[in-house]
Amino acid sequence: MSKLIDGVFRQNPVFRLALGLAPAIAITTTAMNGLVLGLTTAIILVVAALISAMLTDAVPKTARPVVHLGVVAVLTLGAHRILLGIDPQIVADLGIFLPLIVVNGFVLHSLERTNAPVEAVLDVVGKGLGFVGALVLVGAIREFLAYGSIFGAALLDTRLPLFALAASVPGGMVILGLLLALYNVVTGQGGELND
Amino acid sequence: MTNGLDVLRSGLLTENLILLQGLGVYALTRYTASIAQAWKVGSTMLGAMITGALGLWIVELLAIPEYLGFISCLAVAAFAAWLWQRLIGLEVSLSDGLLDTALLGLLLMLTRDHITGYMGMVYAAGAGLGYLAVLLVIAYLRNQLELAPVPKAFKGVPLVLITAGLLGMVLLGFKL
Repeated sequence: MSKLIDGVFRQNPVFRLALGLAPAIAITTTAMNGLVLGLTTAIILVVAALISAMLTDAVPKTARPVVHLGVVAVLTLGAHRILLGIDPQIVADLGIFLPLIVVNGFVLHSLERTNAPVEAVLDVVGKGLGFVGALVLVGAIREFLAYGSIFGAALLDTRLPLFALAASVPGGMVILGLLLALYNVVTGQGGELND
Repeated sequence: MTNGLDVLRSGLLTENLILLQGLGVYALTRYTASIAQAWKVGSTMLGAMITGALGLWIVELLAIPEYLGFISCLAVAAFAAWLWQRLIGLEVSLSDGLLDTALLGLLLMLTRDHITGYMGMVYAAGAGLGYLAVLLVIAYLRNQLELAPVPKAFKGVPLVLITAGLLGMVLLGFKL
């Protein structure tokens, strides 16, 4: 249980480990985008961790990274097909960031540390939830600042957005940088550790 | 030729991979601690991007089926990154950014927008130069900020992201 909670907060992939920053910046222009990409990544990670943990003894240590990449690539292709069947617009909104899950630093780093199946799955479930939470939080803040809404529900009755740049990549970088600093203040950790 | 220059400029400025498309942020936060490191990683990626675009051109000439597009992009990116790491002597593992999102992202964008052949290589050169320039500028700024009284919570990744974000806002001006 402590592994689960650690992954969500103390070892949050985005805010603590500074992993998976590219999707956290480029795709989280809305909370829904963050939720869909976060959930897809987390599910792929959990399944890949389970498969990798079962293959640990059969695959030599030097070949494991390539096997991890292959497993994630196959799962990503599957996820692409499933999402395309559910709603093609979601796939269009996520663009190249859906196939880029394959080279997501968060996914590859997490798979490198997989041990026994149960332990590995618990670890990645916690981190996956932390990743989803981080992407939804960044997405909600950016959507509110750029469009005055969260999950498409209008909260502000204004024609002019509070901060239109929040929907751009540079705006996302500034907002995520500020959130990382806030996380460091709340947890009492120094930013240098994230280097 | 003007068209080629426009493509080169857009890859370098108006469609900068790191600052305006959010690709390769991992390298931005991990490999800008020193200018020498930024130069090594940036030039590796520049070479890999041009080689990757050349690889995509070859894949197109081989008429590989469209459903294998993603797998061929991944294979080309992996080979290009591995080749240039060997040539430049960079020691980076797969999970530490051998396959950078910027490299695979660029190849996916070239495929999506049907930019192949000579134009693809020119665009890749522009994108690679833009990537290298951003890493060098951020490394230089981090160097300059080393002795600045930055609050503890902002040190490291937060400061890099805020600095890069402000630089990106400047580049947005070129799009207007």
